[in-house]
Amino acid sequence: MKSETLVQPALIFNRRQSLTLLAVAMSSCVAQAQNTTWPDTLRAARGQTVYFNAWAGSERINAYLQWAAAELQRDFGVKLQHVKISDAADVVKRIRAEKQAGRKDTEGTVDLVWINGENFAAMKRDGLLSAPFAQALPNFQWVDTVGKPTTLVDFSVPTDGLESPWGMAQLTFFADAQRLLKPPQNMAELLALARSQPGRITYPRPPNFHGTTFVKQALIEHAPDVKALAQPVTPAALAAQAAPLWRFLDALHPHLWRGGKQFPQNSAAVRQMMADGELVMALTFNPNEAANEIAAKRLPATVQSWQFAKGTIGNTHFVAIPYNAPSKAGAQLVANFLLSPAAQARKADIDVWGDPTVLDVARLPAAERARFQSASRPGQVAVTAPVLPEPHASWVDALEKEWTRRYGV
Amino acid sequence: MSFLPAFLLALIAAVPMGWALWAAASQALDVSAWQALWADPQTLRAWGMTLWTGLASTVLVWWTVARLLAHGFIRQQLARWLTHVPALLATPHAAMAIGLVLWLSPSGWALRLVSPGLSGFDAPPPWVTTQDPWGLGLILALWLKEVPFLLWVAATQLQREDLRRRWQAEFALAQTLGHTPTTAFAQVVWPQLAPRLRWPLLAVLAYGLTVVDMALIIGPATPPTLAVLAWQWLGDADAAMQAQGAAAAGCLTVSVAILAGVTVMVLRAWARLLRVASSPLLLQGESPWVGLVIGGAYLAVWWALAVGSVSGVWPFPQLWPSLWTGDAWAQVIASAPTVWTTLGLAAASASVCLVWSVAWLELTPRRWQQALRPWWLLPLVLPSVLWVVGLYSVALQWRLEGQWLGLLLAHAVMVLPYVLLALEPAYLAVDPRQSAVVASLGQGRWTDLLRIKWPLLKRAIASAWAVGFAVSVAQYLPTLYVGAGRFATVTTEAVTLASGAQRSLMSAYAALQMLLPVLAFALAAYLGRPRQFEKIGSMKDNT
Repeated sequence: MKSETLVQPALIFNRRQSLTLLAVAMSSCVAQAQNTTWPDTLRAARGQTVYFNAWAGSERINAYLQWAAAELQRDFGVKLQHVKISDAADVVKRIRAEKQAGRKDTEGTVDLVWINGENFAAMKRDGLLSAPFAQALPNFQWVDTVGKPTTLVDFSVPTDGLESPWGMAQLTFFADAQRLLKPPQNMAELLALARSQPGRITYPRPPNFHGTTFVKQALIEHAPDVKALAQPVTPAALAAQAAPLWRFLDALHPHLWRGGKQFPQNSAAVRQMMADGELVMALTFNPNEAANEIAAKRLPATVQSWQFAKGTIGNTHFVAIPYNAPSKAGAQLVANFLLSPAAQARKADIDVWGDPTVLDVARLPAAERARFQSASRPGQVAVTAPVLPEPHASWVDALEKEWTRRYGV
Repeated sequence: MSFLPAFLLALIAAVPMGWALWAAASQALDVSAWQALWADPQTLRAWGMTLWTGLASTVLVWWTVARLLAHGFIRQQLARWLTHVPALLATPHAAMAIGLVLWLSPSGWALRLVSPGLSGFDAPPPWVTTQDPWGLGLILALWLKEVPFLLWVAATQLQREDLRRRWQAEFALAQTLGHTPTTAFAQVVWPQLAPRLRWPLLAVLAYGLTVVDMALIIGPATPPTLAVLAWQWLGDADAAMQAQGAAAAGCLTVSVAILAGVTVMVLRAWARLLRVASSPLLLQGESPWVGLVIGGAYLAVWWALAVGSVSGVWPFPQLWPSLWTGDAWAQVIASAPTVWTTLGLAAASASVCLVWSVAWLELTPRRWQQALRPWWLLPLVLPSVLWVVGLYSVALQWRLEGQWLGLLLAHAVMVLPYVLLALEPAYLAVDPRQSAVVASLGQGRWTDLLRIKWPLLKRAIASAWAVGFAVSVAQYLPTLYVGAGRFATVTTEAVTLASGAQRSLMSAYAALQMLLPVLAFALAAYLGRPRQFEKIGSMKDNT
């Protein structure tokens, strides 16, 4: 019921909208993709089963997808099957193996995959994705492509309509306010804090995603020329831009947990040690994680989240359709549903999942906008800081290699 | 015995295995990947850590099992202990590691018990008790997990009625010649038992060298073991990194092969030494405390997991959580449907392997069995990451990805060696003269099998099936890849949820993972119980 009232108005003017978008926003890549219209897609999708390969490490996310499956079945006759995975890279690997084994157009096992960053860059580079579809989705019109430019550029790699934005992420720190009275507001203050509380701060070991992000945040704060980070990495650029970063880490590491000689495997381990009292602060990519954990009784209500005052790295996570997806129409329909204001508002609700929306809420009709208003919860970020763009995806590997050489052995 | 059935049986098992192996080998033999592996600064130290933890844990396990068997054999307590072993076997590896961390980490229970009162700590001290750079935590976890396995395999040998009787007699004889019980065991029984534990010991060694999940939780992190690195690289989105991971898996395989050879040589030398040495090396003295330590550790780990599964906020140094929550158990109940997939798959693969093993042992010449034995046991000793690569290639080439049949095949390959290992000793111990007697009474072969031989072997058959079942339940990567993630089992569910690393969820799911194998072992124990000759007994009473 809810989603019908929502999606229907979008459908009425979607075709013109998508045509306009076609003409204006996207150039060559969309042109060959959409010979079919949205009602055609809806028809084709009915009765299809969509195997959505999505990280399943959170019971809230799994429950949200169950809700989405029920809505999709009822309103569109599409069966959404959540294929639970622990790492999106496994899916990329499977699709690549399928391609090497000569699987054709509709002979795959994955219809939709939750993805971003390096994994997307790899799939795009290796031709593992289907034709561009994102900008032709009726609900794409509400996406905040101006205010949230990362919805079109994934780790500085243009999405070219090959993936549809789903949610926003931003590097966020959290700590028990009773133990950490003055949260650090940049890397320099973090260093001062580490000096005053030796052994109580750490970050996950790169190539862990959160660990690499911490290093990238430090890189952005220290690089002589931030613009160079948006370009593909070169040995010269790495040497020039990262030199102050290594100096900073050299200074920081002796004061970290276990003297910076050992690093935890992932952010969850950091969070657990923070909850146990072994560390004073933890980090996450979901600004609402601490609030979620408080609601789940795994963190005390005195925990607070914050982002560095001048901004922290942020990005968007997406859903993409592999080249050999058997149910491409169904997958597009699911991607469109996930972008609908109802689905996005529910996802942003802290009681459900707490994943920030990709939509431009201010531009939505009043009725839809109202869905996004929810009371603030303990543990939420009080003042949102600016989003700093990710460096180009190629920096990830270069930074990880150099980090490992310097600190990982 | 005819040639054709034996040949067909060999073919059925050898084709998928050989194909998978070939596919895996061809991926692990990429020259540039080996160069990249060599050039990676972490490789050498990670490899050294792998060798150290794998070898140290194997030596400890061997020593412990030798002492426990000596103690159990002399005191006739083995049978009593063995009723407890299945529960230890069914404890998932990862759960053991989590439980140990709950106790031993700087914020763990051990320190909470004495804080802040005795220790004076208000916050966890900066001690390196878990994820230690020396790999001691990992060695401890491996030791606790592998001792029950080797003990259990040794027990299947002692279940052989013929051996048990002979060894008891020889043991008694040695004592009448003036040897102490320990010396008698060390010089008479152990030299006969030890060679039979060679393959299982190699499996322990291989497991120690290639374990990933335990090493992630309790092992060193900087650098981790080579198996962890291989797993991380294989999971990278970049194809070149994946190739490097495959090369690392290949490197692990070569390490396992070389060390297995060394181990066999050392065992032979040790056996020779035992024969000439007047004092029973390493077996001297009794050590009942070893068994108690292991049993106590398991109880402590289960207890920690039970409390962990309902714990919410639990800051140091509080002894008990300040907030409790049943959310994790609600999740476990919500994923109950996966139990049925798991059950079906495990029952099917264990049954297929059991039927194959029985047919193999019944129909093929002894010569064949001995010649091909190392092949069937290969999945035990090669790194599982390598098998996954191979099995997945086979599934793709045969168009079985995402199919139940493909999944069954993948599980069967991993399950087969355990079932064969569990069944073989007892099966070969059956006195062939029995069948001759049956035939002389004018009964056919089927009558012999159905009424005499298999009923006599039901205990071994049931427990082999239970082991196969437990192995199938524990499979993660083959299930994920070959099943294209479409078949959710309790293990895939547990591992995917564990990627969020919620302590309570991981603890609660460990219970779910234990449940099915424990039930299977209980069923096997029930089916394999000795026959009660009630009529004879009641007749006796009446007279």
